[in-house]
Amino acid sequence: MEQCSTFSNGPSLDLLGVQTVGEFSGNGCCLGEDHVDNGAHHGKLTQKGLFYELLPLYLKDNCSQVGARPLLVLVDGQQLDLYKLFSLVKDRGGYAKVSKNGLWGSLTKELGLNLEVYSPVKLVYAKYLNDFERWLKKTFEEKILKNGNHGCDWGLKWLPMDIEKEFRGLLCLNSKKKADDELFKSKSNKKKKNTDLANHKNGNNLLDTKDQNNKSEDVQHIEGDNNEKSCNGIKDNPATLGAECADKEYNPRKRKRDAFSGMINWMKDIAKHPLVPLTQPIPKPSKWKEYKGRDFFGQFLKARLILSPRTHEEPNSGLSSLQKQKMHPVIYEDHVALGRQATGKSRCNERLPSSVKAWSCSCCNPCSHKGNTLAGSHDKVAEKCPHEKTSETLDVLTEKAMAESSGDEFLGKQVSVGPRFQAEIPEWTGVVSESDSKWLGTQVWSLKQGTEPATETDIGRGRQEKCSCEHQGSVTCVRLHIAENRVKLKLELGSTFYHWGFDRMGEEVSLQWTTTEEKRFKDIMRSNAPSKIKYFWNNGFKYFANKTRRHLVSYYFNVFLIQLRTYQNRATPKNIDSDDEVEFGYLSKGFGMETIEGPDDDFLECSKNEQYINFD
Amino acid sequence: MGMMEEESSNSNIEGGASLPSSGSDAKKRRVTYFYEPTIGDYYYGQGHPMKPHRIRMAHNLIVHYSLHRRMEINRPFPASTADIRRFHSDDYVHFLSSVSPETLSDITFSRQLKRFNVGEDCPVFDGLFDFCQASAGGSIGAAVKLNRGDADIAINWAGGLHHAKKSEASGFCYVNDIVLGILELLKVHRRVLYVDIDVHHGDGVEEAFYTTDRVMTVSFHKFGDFFPGTGHIKDIGVGSGKNYAVNVPLNDGMDDENFRGLFRPIIHKVMEVYQPEAVVLQCGADSLSGDRLGCFNLSVKGHADCLRFLRSFNVPLMVLGGGGYTIRNVARCWCYETAVAVGVEPDNKLPYNEYYEYFGPDYTLYVDPSNMENLNTPKDMEKIRITLLEQISRLPHAPSVPFQTTPPTLEIPEEAEEDMDRRPKLRKWDGEDYDSDPDEGGKANSKFSNVNAHMREIVDDMEEEKPGVHPPSCC
Repeated sequence: MEQCSTFSNGPSLDLLGVQTVGEFSGNGCCLGEDHVDNGAHHGKLTQKGLFYELLPLYLKDNCSQVGARPLLVLVDGQQLDLYKLFSLVKDRGGYAKVSKNGLWGSLTKELGLNLEVYSPVKLVYAKYLNDFERWLKKTFEEKILKNGNHGCDWGLKWLPMDIEKEFRGLLCLNSKKKADDELFKSKSNKKKKNTDLANHKNGNNLLDTKDQNNKSEDVQHIEGDNNEKSCNGIKDNPATLGAECADKEYNPRKRKRDAFSGMINWMKDIAKHPLVPLTQPIPKPSKWKEYKGRDFFGQFLKARLILSPRTHEEPNSGLSSLQKQKMHPVIYEDHVALGRQATGKSRCNERLPSSVKAWSCSCCNPCSHKGNTLAGSHDKVAEKCPHEKTSETLDVLTEKAMAESSGDEFLGKQVSVGPRFQAEIPEWTGVVSESDSKWLGTQVWSLKQGTEPATETDIGRGRQEKCSCEHQGSVTCVRLHIAENRVKLKLELGSTFYHWGFDRMGEEVSLQWTTTEEKRFKDIMRSNAPSKIKYFWNNGFKYFANKTRRHLVSYYFNVFLIQLRTYQNRATPKNIDSDDEVEFGYLSKGFGMETIEGPDDDFLECSKNEQYINFD
Repeated sequence: MGMMEEESSNSNIEGGASLPSSGSDAKKRRVTYFYEPTIGDYYYGQGHPMKPHRIRMAHNLIVHYSLHRRMEINRPFPASTADIRRFHSDDYVHFLSSVSPETLSDITFSRQLKRFNVGEDCPVFDGLFDFCQASAGGSIGAAVKLNRGDADIAINWAGGLHHAKKSEASGFCYVNDIVLGILELLKVHRRVLYVDIDVHHGDGVEEAFYTTDRVMTVSFHKFGDFFPGTGHIKDIGVGSGKNYAVNVPLNDGMDDENFRGLFRPIIHKVMEVYQPEAVVLQCGADSLSGDRLGCFNLSVKGHADCLRFLRSFNVPLMVLGGGGYTIRNVARCWCYETAVAVGVEPDNKLPYNEYYEYFGPDYTLYVDPSNMENLNTPKDMEKIRITLLEQISRLPHAPSVPFQTTPPTLEIPEEAEEDMDRRPKLRKWDGEDYDSDPDEGGKANSKFSNVNAHMREIVDDMEEEKPGVHPPSCC
């Protein structure tokens, strides 16, 4: 699907960011003029770095069916340290053992998260790390067999130095392991062209999916040439890890490395030019701790802060925010090349990541009512990253932007003018033309019907604080009161009750479904397979002979979601941030509906049905 | 205009614009509400953020709060292809009315899908055209209600689909019911003001009326790296429409106070200078805090304050829906705004209703703002306010009709109880009278002071004809 490839840029770019940090901390090299004191943590960082190097590559190469794979996983509003999660699970013998022994709860606690989010954590592991775990294990075992070593556990922590080297060999383009400042600089200069092209490619992805295929082909071609030249070193690298493995890993890695340097160049430029307005806000110092584990990003931010002549004192003075927006690459490019064509696409980019987000981190919508702004800004960064890369080079862009802001002309998406765009508006003549009274529609409720003084006091009234139910706020209690209100409403509205479809609102809809049908519906929803669910919505009649799509939609909104929310409101009240956008990530097997439908199941169904019958 | 003057005029707005709308004069608004009972059954597709079900949820809350007793409620007449063609191009309407998920794979459609931007954001779903017909029919119906003078406020929560273009779907919108509704209003009203508080720019409506002075569009929206990308503060209209498009570009985290600090003075000024005969308010609820796609931080009350303020002018008012993607909050917001329209202050504790569990775990009506960071600095706000107030000042008073030529007698409302209300053509605020007003209005004394103001304003208006020059105490 086109759109998949489009919005996957967001997360995967972020992924690159993580990789970058991992790689360089692993090599213990310094960037820019700052000295990085990571000696003490070197060992740990190496493992962590290696982990963050390997995982994205693995995911990208092996799970191409999933469009977006953010390495920034947020659970319960906090960033989940995948490495920590991975090593904890590994310590306990792997995914299967942890699940079998029911250790997810304690593990979640050890991660510093609430016990109740263990299911998302498990899901994250299953989704992103389980295959990786197996792959690593397998690769490792093959290696062991070859070398005749025994007694070594799989995993990164126990990686003997030589194997670590080999793993790293897979990832390094140059045989030279130390990358000091100068070398880095010269390298990055050499690669400048390369990087630009990589950036360009990203831009194309983002802005024009139609051209994407052609252009990226070209770009890849050129990239490939450059890679061959600059990466001869790898030929000397002892590829002890089996030819098939190296083949699989080698090519994609090359391309990524170029993207890394692109990213690093970009970051360096940002740090070095603190006065150049950014196209997106850089996090405030208070938020830098969010970037824990991404040390170099922090370094860049610090460098920028120090270099900038106290612009933080007066952020956004005057119209600066507008100016910033003016020179935003997306807007800029829209104007220059894409014009109106980009409209739909940009919305796509804006919007669809959020639905992806929803299942990768169901409990931390950036604007949740809990207001986790950190998570919010974090996600924003991830989302916006691709936009940063849409332009040629930063320097060129900056120059243009400066020139632009100095002139009075502003460049944005222009409003189209012409008969193809504007509505035809008659001149005002003073003669009032009659409107067809058909537009008044069908009057269903008139004011007269509601003017009895006795009912006036009820207007705007909410629920009573207290009720005589044994367990106030329980499912039974709530259902009883809903049923009571329905009866009252039916009395007041008469036939209007049916006209407005109140008989087709709420859980009562389930009365038209058999228990088997209901179970089948819920099973599909809980299958946690988006493609299956999508297929189901489009071909529902294959599952339910006598149900139209409308029935399915009605059941979904009126029964399924309500029951899901009924559970969530009582079991995980702190983690609710959306209605159904929770999507099915939250409903992984062994959690959620099973719990609500376990001992409570019969009780729920019965009490509901009885009440409706009683009161109807 | 000096900064101090702006500041002081703003504080006047803060205190003074809160005309009694929920108090004693509340019952004077005759409200008509359009509701299509099948609207909630339309489904854009799995995972699509736009969910017409939210309109059914809002209706459910409205009825459980008994707000229907204060309204006339109509089922809209579906707009026909001919009606929709009053704005949209023939081929586009033909396409919309003939495409269906089943015929989607036809080769003839595949080119049109691209051409009309239908497919991804704007999918082809079951009953797509019926949905458009209901949405548009409601807004045209609302316009006719206002045209006939049958209602003071007409509501259509299924409307407000402001991105749709003449020959193109966009941003989940296919048929621009707003444009169709405004075209209907223009049959009777010389000037129509369109106000848009959706978090996204109201580009479809702005574009449709970009070259005319008979419709003024004012959109408050997130700008910068955000859909649809239009709505720069310098987009002001062209030709005879120049200065009749107002864009208020905002940043993430917009809160109630900041929003009000822009909305009230700008709208106040527009009402004063442009003197619309009817107002259309698009109440997109994605500007609320916690919206799935939005990035503002408005509370329900802050959002509804826009309606409260516009309502206080007592100009025929059409109230439409729009965006809104955290559906429980959309239902809350539109229910509360319906209450504001009919002049009721509902309890915060939701009545038990069929969708009660959607609103857990708090089961309340109001959405409180979060503690997200507000990236709108006071300086930005001030700059925007000054820029736009200047733009609005450049307008001639009441275009195509010389200022104050309408005989005052025509403006006196027919009903005796309407005497106290100030019609905009007679009224201009005098800061002094409002300083003593309570914030939310509705007190008897404020009403009397309004009467005084009312009398004085007529005189003031006769004397003052210089646009853009005002005493410091007044905008």
